[in-house]
Amino acid sequence: MHTQRRSTLLCTLPLALALATVLNAQADSGIGVDTWRANKLDPSAGAQGRMTDEFGTSWLIGGQRRSPTGNLYMCPAQPPQLDHFGDWIGYGVLEAGAVGTSGDDRNALWNRYADWDSGLILGLLDYTWQRPDDGSYANVRASRISEDDQYYQAVFGRAGAFKIQAFIRDQPNLVSSNAKPIWNGVGSDQLTLPTALTPGGSTVADVAAVSAATPERTLSVKRSKQGIGFDLNLPMRWSVYANLADEQRKGARPYGGPFFFNYPFPNNGGVLETTKPIDDHTLAINLGVRHVATQWRMDFSYSGSFYRDRYTRYTYQTPFALWAVVPGSASAPLTTGQMAMEPDNDYHNIKAAFTYKLPLNGELSLTASAGRMSQDDRLIAPIDCNGVFGIGLGGNLNPGPANPFLFRCSDWNTPAALSRRTADMRIDTSLLDARISLQPLDGISVRGGLRFNRDDYRNGYLAYNPLTGDYGYIAENGSQGSIVPGEVGLFNPVTAPSNITRVRSLPLDLQTIDANLGADWKLDNKNTLGATFAFNRYEPTHRERRRIDDNSLKLTWVNRSLDWLTLRANYTWKKSNGDPYEFDPYEFTYSIDLPGYVPPAGGTPSHTVEAMRKYDMSSRDGHKIDVMATIMPREDMTLSASLRGDWNSYDAPIGRQDYQTSSATLQWDWQPRDGTNLSAYAAWDRSHLRLSNVQDQQAGAGVDPRLGGPNYALIGQWWLRDSQRDVYAGATLDHRIGRVRIDANWNYTRARGMDRYNYAGPTALAYPALAPGAGPGGGAFPAMTYRVDSISVGVTIPLADRFALRVFDYYERGRVSDWHYSGFDTARVIDHRVYTDGGPTRYNANLVGVMLRVAL
Amino acid sequence: MTTLRKRTALLLLGASFGLASLLAHAQQTRADLARNLPSSNLSGHDVQATRTSLLGAPGFAHARVVSNPAAPDATPVGEGMCISCHQLEADHFTHTLHALGLHAANKADASVPVCETCHGAGSAHSQSPQTRGLIIGFTKDSGTPIDVQTRTCLSCHEGGPRDHWTGSVHQRNDLSCSDCHNPMANFSSEGLMAKASINDTCAQCHKDIRVQFNRRSHMPLPEGQMSCADCHNPHGSVTSPLLKTNTVNETCYQCHAEKRGPFLFEHAPVRENCLNCHSPHGSNQNTLLVAPIPFLCQQCHTGQRHPNDLHTSQSLATGSNPDERIMGRGCLTCHANIHGSNAPSGPRFHE
Repeated sequence: MHTQRRSTLLCTLPLALALATVLNAQADSGIGVDTWRANKLDPSAGAQGRMTDEFGTSWLIGGQRRSPTGNLYMCPAQPPQLDHFGDWIGYGVLEAGAVGTSGDDRNALWNRYADWDSGLILGLLDYTWQRPDDGSYANVRASRISEDDQYYQAVFGRAGAFKIQAFIRDQPNLVSSNAKPIWNGVGSDQLTLPTALTPGGSTVADVAAVSAATPERTLSVKRSKQGIGFDLNLPMRWSVYANLADEQRKGARPYGGPFFFNYPFPNNGGVLETTKPIDDHTLAINLGVRHVATQWRMDFSYSGSFYRDRYTRYTYQTPFALWAVVPGSASAPLTTGQMAMEPDNDYHNIKAAFTYKLPLNGELSLTASAGRMSQDDRLIAPIDCNGVFGIGLGGNLNPGPANPFLFRCSDWNTPAALSRRTADMRIDTSLLDARISLQPLDGISVRGGLRFNRDDYRNGYLAYNPLTGDYGYIAENGSQGSIVPGEVGLFNPVTAPSNITRVRSLPLDLQTIDANLGADWKLDNKNTLGATFAFNRYEPTHRERRRIDDNSLKLTWVNRSLDWLTLRANYTWKKSNGDPYEFDPYEFTYSIDLPGYVPPAGGTPSHTVEAMRKYDMSSRDGHKIDVMATIMPREDMTLSASLRGDWNSYDAPIGRQDYQTSSATLQWDWQPRDGTNLSAYAAWDRSHLRLSNVQDQQAGAGVDPRLGGPNYALIGQWWLRDSQRDVYAGATLDHRIGRVRIDANWNYTRARGMDRYNYAGPTALAYPALAPGAGPGGGAFPAMTYRVDSISVGVTIPLADRFALRVFDYYERGRVSDWHYSGFDTARVIDHRVYTDGGPTRYNANLVGVMLRVAL
Repeated sequence: MTTLRKRTALLLLGASFGLASLLAHAQQTRADLARNLPSSNLSGHDVQATRTSLLGAPGFAHARVVSNPAAPDATPVGEGMCISCHQLEADHFTHTLHALGLHAANKADASVPVCETCHGAGSAHSQSPQTRGLIIGFTKDSGTPIDVQTRTCLSCHEGGPRDHWTGSVHQRNDLSCSDCHNPMANFSSEGLMAKASINDTCAQCHKDIRVQFNRRSHMPLPEGQMSCADCHNPHGSVTSPLLKTNTVNETCYQCHAEKRGPFLFEHAPVRENCLNCHSPHGSNQNTLLVAPIPFLCQQCHTGQRHPNDLHTSQSLATGSNPDERIMGRGCLTCHANIHGSNAPSGPRFHE
């Protein structure tokens, strides 16, 4: 627990509450999250359940009008039945009943964000009070599916004057339903092995037996959030707002836990999929003042976010013993690993925006913003061990000059072993944004923008142990140095001057400048043409390039020439390049950069291959199209179609070479009469990602970084093409027969991913001996598939004036195959690898419900 | 209990027997119904009703008849006149927040218009209801240019979240406010959306994005637990993808504050842009990843020894050489703190 941080939070909370009490706010489309509260039972939060007005929209025309684009508006709901309470009127709905699940209803995919719990539920309570005399109103809305899936909100306000809002919400997130953690204490910061296992001394068979006997359980993270918000209109067209939300997350999720490789060292190392405890909360504050005048608009805002984690780290026990690869030597017994949790952090951002109306129908807008992200969390010790770690030569586990690969835990298991006790890291951000638009001629508008953004890192960290004079860190909980001599992760100018290890943090200061210039030309009321040229200069520090320039030209055409068609088409040409690519800009963060470093006898190994081009840094050519058509073949029918494509080619001999995505959608909507809607859609998308990599040939000691050199020989090059193809389809029916309403919904998703590879020679492979021949080859992974069909059918039957009964059934079938988890259904312990999560699994599940709907 | 709907029907009965017949005999054609509507009052006199002592709604008290360039000489006719033809629209409209505020303001000060606040002065339209454009309309066939429609809405809703509407991708593509909003009735539980939810509204045009949320890993948007507007401001922002904050990462940190750090040891592409590794609208991989692990990582990591090997299905648990670099969480089993580590022994994100 971070006492200091928590006390800061406690100081902040009353301040925020005080501000929130004085001021007013709510999350809106411009600020914050929490714009919507609903659940899977009714993602529309009540709107879909309303009975449509049998009289339609208008006495004057039948059917529905269309939006300016051409989409059919919905048929309005029946006006509510009103109750009167003095000056107030009230109306609302209560929907309560029972649901039951069956089939594979514990499956993680079925329950991912919906916690179906058989039994009584509150489907919806939605009640509104209004006082027409002065525009006052209040509303409460609530839904409770289960303890982990519920929301309650209340709003009070006066139209155009103020609004106060408060909510409570619990959101489920089920991440695994077939987890088999071998540890006790899941969800806590201490994972301990059961009594059947000995830390650092169990056999694979012991661990496998425990894993097999562990019942499958769920791992989930529940988000619980409370918030209040206000906004208030003041005289002279000023308004103020504020909101405050506090969210807790609690649960556990699969995570890692390294005790060095197992693949090169059978019966050695440890690769442990542990469970990470989630127990934190975040306080978020948004507040601001706005002014809208005839000539000026102003917006001043503050955003703050304060993250607090209950734990600084969590520890876990490893069941396996390690052995040193040097014959005759002994490996120090290690039993405990640790994983740092995310640090408590503070975020502040202030923003001021000014907009001034110019002649020629123009506007000039200036936005300035400054922010700070900081954390000063207490740092954990480099290792959690007692006694010694490392390798004792000749089987001698007594530390001393004769044992250069053996280390005293007491020199490293304390914060005194650090160059400082707290992290003290900070990033300052700044933004300036200016934009102007003018309409010099009727139908012609021009616009331009300039944006400047900086991220400035403050402070850095040097990994230095004042107790020993060593630089660096303890790799993989001490396991690496307990298996391979000299690989503990330390550099010492006297005792280990040739060790290459990481010794500094990596500050990632960044500056970006964006400029754009564009014009739109309304040829007539039917056609608009637009062109926008955008330039982005991206200047990172300590990256492979110091400057990257992105250029793009976007052409836009909006056409409404035909009464039955609205067409929007966009094409974008993109080109990105920059200054020369430096393949190893990180040298300064390694011991290579320290005084006293002595290159190894064969020279300093190259960090990576020279031909590598990281895709966020590489030159790129691209094209993008985006075409949307809204077609109106009949008065009561709409067809919507879209085509999108984004093709990017990277100048990268090694690295990402191509990334292409494309999609097509078609949607059909038919509203033959009020109270009847039919719709159907089909969509298709695909992506192709092509990359190349190269296997080094000199066992990590190669000094030549050239592709085609002795280390990165062309014979070790390989290529991979990841292809994803998705097909989606669905149909919806909403039909009223008399007063009975029938609704049905079907959705289908089919995804298929293929990974095909080629290699120049067997030495490209992780296991060359498995290659069928000596020359080039190729192959593919099994298809990774995901297919879900779901269908729901519901009938709403009016029982009396205010009562209706809804009976519904929702069935979902999922088929999933992910090769990462192949074989996990039979064994989760594979040599010294222990897996907790069994991966996604197929399911058939059904939800049936009976709800009584009462118009209040 | 007498509902407003019933009271409205009674009012109509008193005003016009024909209209009452219409209500009683819904099987009549709409042409029949239209013929039975009351005669129009073009005097505009009811606008000059006496000011009442009731407290007005301050925000809506400033409402004025909006100017319609297509009918510059039109004069206000008042809500009663509008309702004489548009009774059913009024029945639906009257429960919206706009109606509540406008009616309250109108009661306090009868010079505050109701319908004509948004639709402009109605006299020309009343005299020639079939001529398009004489009233400001917000539908495809209204005859009102898009920029007049948006300007009308912005006359009250200018600034704030809409501060950067001009020049935004939606403005440049000639969208009208009424493409997404329909304030004539409560079609959504909040926000006066054109569809039942924010997400359904966005999906009218962005169906290709909406279906991505049907993929194996997605944010809880189909489940109704969040909306497109949690990340995007469709009214314009300081970013071209209409993000609500200054950067992609700041947008993600709104819900994933634990990823904000800054960490003792940073992972460069993570700090740069979450989208380097994650596909925010949905992915067929676990945790919204752009590509399967280890290939996602191997796009950048070619360092010597273990990162640059090509794995095949023989490295899976069912293969001849099971390998932790590709099974389960793959690289992340060891490099678990991939978003950054605050451990002094975490430069490679092992701790």
